[in-house]
Amino acid sequence: MKTTVLLSHARHPVSDRPQLSRLEAQAIALAAEVDEAPSGLHAGRNETGVVAALGHGLTALDRLDLADTTDPLSALAAFLTRQRFDLILAGRRGEGGHETGLLPYRLAAILGLPILADAVAITPGAAVETLVVDQAMAKGARRRVTIRLPAIVTVHPLAPPPRPFAYGPMRRGTIRRHPVDGSANAADLDTAEERPHRLRPKLMRQSAGQAAGANLYVDPTPEEAARLILAYLEANGIRRYGPLNDR
Amino acid sequence: MSRPRRDPRAERQSHDVGATGSRPRYDRSQPLPGRAGVPPIVAPARSGMTTQPQPAKPELRIVDEPAFLVFAVVEAPGGRLSRFDRQVLGAARLLADAGDGGAGVVAIASHSVEGLGEAGADRVLLFTAEAMPGTVAKALRQTVDALSPRHVLFAETGDSADLARRLAIALDEPLLANVEHLTSRQAVRAIRNGRAEIAATPPRLISLGEDRIKPYEAAPCEARALALDTAPHNDDPAILSVEFIPGDPASLALSETDFVVSAGNGVSDFAAFRDLATHLRATPGASRVVCDAGLMPRAAQVGASGTVLSADCYFALGISGAPQHLQGIAGCEHVIAVNTDLHAAMIERAGLAIVQDAQLVMPALLQLLRGGER
Ligand SMILES: Cc1cc2nc3c(=O)[nH]c(=O)nc-3n(C[C@H](O)[C@H](O)[C@H](O)COP(=O)(O)OP(=O)(O)OC[C@H]3O[C@@H](n4cnc5c(N)ncnc54)[C@H](O)[C@@H]3O)c2cc1C
Ligand SMILES: Nc1ncnc2c1ncn2[C@@H]1O[C@H](COP(=O)(O)O)[C@@H](O)[C@H]1O
Repeated sequence: MKTTVLLSHARHPVSDRPQLSRLEAQAIALAAEVDEAPSGLHAGRNETGVVAALGHGLTALDRLDLADTTDPLSALAAFLTRQRFDLILAGRRGEGGHETGLLPYRLAAILGLPILADAVAITPGAAVETLVVDQAMAKGARRRVTIRLPAIVTVHPLAPPPRPFAYGPMRRGTIRRHPVDGSANAADLDTAEERPHRLRPKLMRQSAGQAAGANLYVDPTPEEAARLILAYLEANGIRRYGPLNDR
Repeated sequence: MSRPRRDPRAERQSHDVGATGSRPRYDRSQPLPGRAGVPPIVAPARSGMTTQPQPAKPELRIVDEPAFLVFAVVEAPGGRLSRFDRQVLGAARLLADAGDGGAGVVAIASHSVEGLGEAGADRVLLFTAEAMPGTVAKALRQTVDALSPRHVLFAETGDSADLARRLAIALDEPLLANVEHLTSRQAVRAIRNGRAEIAATPPRLISLGEDRIKPYEAAPCEARALALDTAPHNDDPAILSVEFIPGDPASLALSETDFVVSAGNGVSDFAAFRDLATHLRATPGASRVVCDAGLMPRAAQVGASGTVLSADCYFALGISGAPQHLQGIAGCEHVIAVNTDLHAAMIERAGLAIVQDAQLVMPALLQLLRGGER
């Protein structure tokens, strides 16, 4: 299964140095499950951050030589159309850029490929040209979708951790640089006016309006205590325990 | 804005005994309406000050002819609104009530959900359950074309975030993702790892970050069901099969689960405790004392040096509630404590506190859960 991982210009949250995004490193680990020689694809001038991907399990890295301020969409689409990958893995959202998470969807629209979000595990399907993707859902649930390839899949942070970094494979890995012919088809990224970020506190998650001691029971019988507890759980919608409802 | 204001004039008026004469007379010994159980007086309109206290049950808020619509996509796993869903509805209400108001909030869910009216939905639109985001996006797009809402709000998580992006592509409109500050005039999102931010007038498609916007709390809305003319069904040729695998709380990580039952030094029967966790369908946790003693794995430790929970509910058996432990459950909305000590800090923190021996409560709970007689 010919697989590639899309690598964005991620930046370290503290030092602002270019680095490999953790989510994309996790995507590499997933790609290695279905392809013994997965490659990576990055559009940008700078490869100091993304070369680390070779140390995490990629065998080759394609870099489209593009200024960082231009929209990589058309260059990526053109390259992917030429290369015909079976599976394209991407992160859920970039880190350190505009962080919209729209790029994989825009690519899917241009290439006419199906897209699945939030993968935590992938395995080859029973039939050829199919893939079984486990998607992460709320409360630990998973949705197992069998999809026909080629497809784009984005990765969820709950996917298995990245493979450990190794220096030798990073040195041995091949980097292929592809010039992008003419910047005519590459539009500039939209430049909405940026201003310094202001930290805004999140809402407190404290329990609302529970007077201490309002719900205090001293020495109930164990049976009564048990009933109180289950009633509380059901009243607050934590769990439903079936026939206990008719108290 | 949503909290009723005190109105000192109206309060004074309500003490007026209405004496005839040139001087007003007040009887201050009467309790104030608006305190202790009676809902507070809402500041009346400028003209014709009335002193009638509001009826105890707030009446239904009905929008018959909405000036415009605001869509709010809710996920509501298990048919109940999550905290995040309420926040999305709260944001929709905020945008709908802005300016001249009179707009309607349409909640969009994939299965029937309770409490949508209280959370601020005027209308409800149901899509079929188990539809994949791709098909829901198609149906949603048709609805957006038909009803042309002014805003469509999503939660920046899971299928909602997926849907938001699919809709943005289908409509070829920008999406303001992961918004962290929203008013009727401005929506702000952080970029570049939170170094910069961009502000815009709220566009049509917005996805909200978690714990950013307050849920709606005023009078319940009617949540009238809207008919959908085309029910979406999975017809995507690329998707061959879909299977839903429910989460198993026993194997979930503590940080991912929604319900934790936890044992402290007051628990001695750990076989019964694990059994209880399985039957409650909760993830087992423990205090540090228990983990240090090797009675539970270290991964189960809750607290400052263990796992900080994001669960909705925490059930503590025989845990004193040391500050390091309470830090780990600061985010839990519902806490149940069983402890023999009435003065334990955990009893004070709990929403349901039971002073009783945990060794006796566990078998009683188990018996009840196994369908034994009450
Ligand atoms: C730097 C530091 C970090 C720490 N980090 C953590 C942490 O991450 N997590 C953590 O949990 N702790 C942590 N601790 C330890 C913490 O201070 C407490 O010592 C610990 O939480 C106490 O655990 P406990 O409540 O189970 O035990 P105890 O304090 O011994 O309390 C037992 C409770 O059970 C009750 N009880 C006794 N018998 C029964 C019975 N039969 N039925 C019902 N109730 C009964 C008692 O009344 C008492 O309230 C930390 C401490 C330090 C110094
Ligand atoms: N310049 C790029 N080159 C290759 N892939 C990219 C690039 N930018 C973004 N991506 C991919 O698209 C995902 C989402 O990015 P974004 O839409 O920028 O949030 C990232 O996780 C990457 O997988």
